[in-house]
Amino acid sequence: MTYEPPVTDYDHIVENCTCAFCGCNCDDLDFLVKDGHVVAVRHACRLGASKVMEDMDQRLLVPMVRNEEGVLEEVDWDTALDTAAKYIAESVRPVFYGWSETSTECMKEGVELGEYIGAVLDNQATICHGPSLQAMQNAGYPIQTLGEVKNRADVIAYSGSNAMNSHPRHLARYAAFPRGYFRQRGRFDRTVITMDPKFSDTAKMSDKWIGFEQNGDYGFYNALRAVLKGKKLQSESVSGIPAEDIYELAAEMEAAEFGVLFFGLGLTHTLGKQRNIDIAIKLVQDLNTNSKWGLTPMRGHFNVNGFNIFMAYETGWAFGVDFCRGYGRYMMGETNTIDLLVRKEPDCFMVIAADPGAHFPNGANQHLANIPVIQIDIHWGPSTELADVVLPGSFISVECGGTSYRMDGVPIWMKKAIDKPETCRDDEWIVRELKERVMKLREEPNVADEYVPNEGLACLLDK
Amino acid sequence: MHYANTYLERPVVGDLENVAQEGTTKVLKCMLNTGSDIYQGACKKRGSTLKEEYKNASGTCYMDPRDMVKLGVKNWDTVLVKTDYGEVVLNAAKSRDAPHEGTIFVCKGPWANTIVSHETYCCSDPTYKGIHATVEKTDRKVLLMADLMRWVYKKYVDEEDDDVVENMESLGERPVYNGRKWEELIDHDI
Repeated sequence: MTYEPPVTDYDHIVENCTCAFCGCNCDDLDFLVKDGHVVAVRHACRLGASKVMEDMDQRLLVPMVRNEEGVLEEVDWDTALDTAAKYIAESVRPVFYGWSETSTECMKEGVELGEYIGAVLDNQATICHGPSLQAMQNAGYPIQTLGEVKNRADVIAYSGSNAMNSHPRHLARYAAFPRGYFRQRGRFDRTVITMDPKFSDTAKMSDKWIGFEQNGDYGFYNALRAVLKGKKLQSESVSGIPAEDIYELAAEMEAAEFGVLFFGLGLTHTLGKQRNIDIAIKLVQDLNTNSKWGLTPMRGHFNVNGFNIFMAYETGWAFGVDFCRGYGRYMMGETNTIDLLVRKEPDCFMVIAADPGAHFPNGANQHLANIPVIQIDIHWGPSTELADVVLPGSFISVECGGTSYRMDGVPIWMKKAIDKPETCRDDEWIVRELKERVMKLREEPNVADEYVPNEGLACLLDK
Repeated sequence: MHYANTYLERPVVGDLENVAQEGTTKVLKCMLNTGSDIYQGACKKRGSTLKEEYKNASGTCYMDPRDMVKLGVKNWDTVLVKTDYGEVVLNAAKSRDAPHEGTIFVCKGPWANTIVSHETYCCSDPTYKGIHATVEKTDRKVLLMADLMRWVYKKYVDEEDDDVVENMESLGERPVYNGRKWEELIDHDI
């Protein structure tokens, strides 16, 4: 990389903006604005800066509908919204997927639309931290805020997470480096442990790297729990880690004044899935008998946690909520997007602020080639190549305000810094318009019949 | 207008110490892991997914240098990766996290999607990590994102006719659509 002079040519600075990249939601960014564009970002990491200073070549600016030749054609907002509303109103099993990169206000409109027509509402948790949410239902959720980590934590453990690559400011702003109230010397007062089969960039700057073997997470955590309970290990090594190292690590974790376990997709994407997280949560519970420990999932998108909290509050389930029977229903492996697509069930797919084209496995995406796909997004991405209707939204926290939830569940208001392009609309407006148009096309809401207990018996008794 | 630059044509990778002209292994069996790294993340989130940059950031197979010697590939040669779920042509590059002999790492993206497992085992989450794969040297080129999406999913082309799909003109690094030019719609000079 070459040296770049700092940007000095700007009109004004918008201070204390919130980053719309990962679950860290850093709220100390300064945007340098010139002629209504952000030309530079202060304090952000490489990822946050590159997201805020977007690629205007690929910005979606005008609504588009696929013509008969299979080429996207620019249309006016009315035509695009009507086409999309028609696809949704005529479908039997629509899926509304995404929501993690939009505001909680927009989700409110979405859940109303989903409930009205009987759709499945799901978010990116289904392909990242879904097993974590399931494990929380199994084993509990011993969480703390990131502020507590900053002020108190003396042992930080990353498991199956490469924070330096996916949450670059996590160590700097919350976990390892900052000086906290009880950790006045910052990094020198803390021990960082990384547990990952890969010698990742996070492992390179940790005090300790536990490189257990691939798919060895479950065995390793069980061994650690056994040692914590005073048991002796029967074999010389577990999951590729020598027994004496496990004893040493267990002692170190138990001696922590305040420890935090951050875990990422390394645990949820391997074969153990939610059982890996179950065991990690139980490990934290065991540690809490003699010490003080908490854990936090390293959430990827800035509002992926927001959708889970919002849906749990509104419907009782965090993600994968199915309204097709006229009432809410949730079943792991049944009402989740990947399973639905692999079984070729959906007949209409709406993507909002997400990119299944880039992140779903081939086996699931194949079905998107058979059904109409509606995309609400800000950039031309892999999903646009599969989309039949494209509705350009606006960029939350840069062009539009909104509420989001940080990875530890703290809600943060993300303010607007610049105006959106004239031809774009807010996500919230788009979903509300779609809802109103769908309600006009399909006048009856999808509501379950009234429940009559044992109808036959009631008739007999009447006679 | 002067913008702070976040573009990087291709990820920074280390030089290979030994380069074998002729590989000793034709087909290398290994374990495939996918995930994100900072180059892929920065490019994807900026929205530059049609560009060469995304192809290099996301369509790259990071390998242990010893495995690269076995196959006889240099940095930025192309390899064909096959799994039970599909196959794809990727760039080969020396991993920044080496040594991890017998394991390859591909950043998530449309390229990795064609070879990962969609099996969720009733846990909602596909198995993106720990998949058995084979790697071999190839002369084929890595496709750009738009071309890859057309080649894999064939949504708007005649899917019966493989020749048409194989020999179609590249969709390029700019959006393809009917309408005005993007340049006319918004003033920018990135």
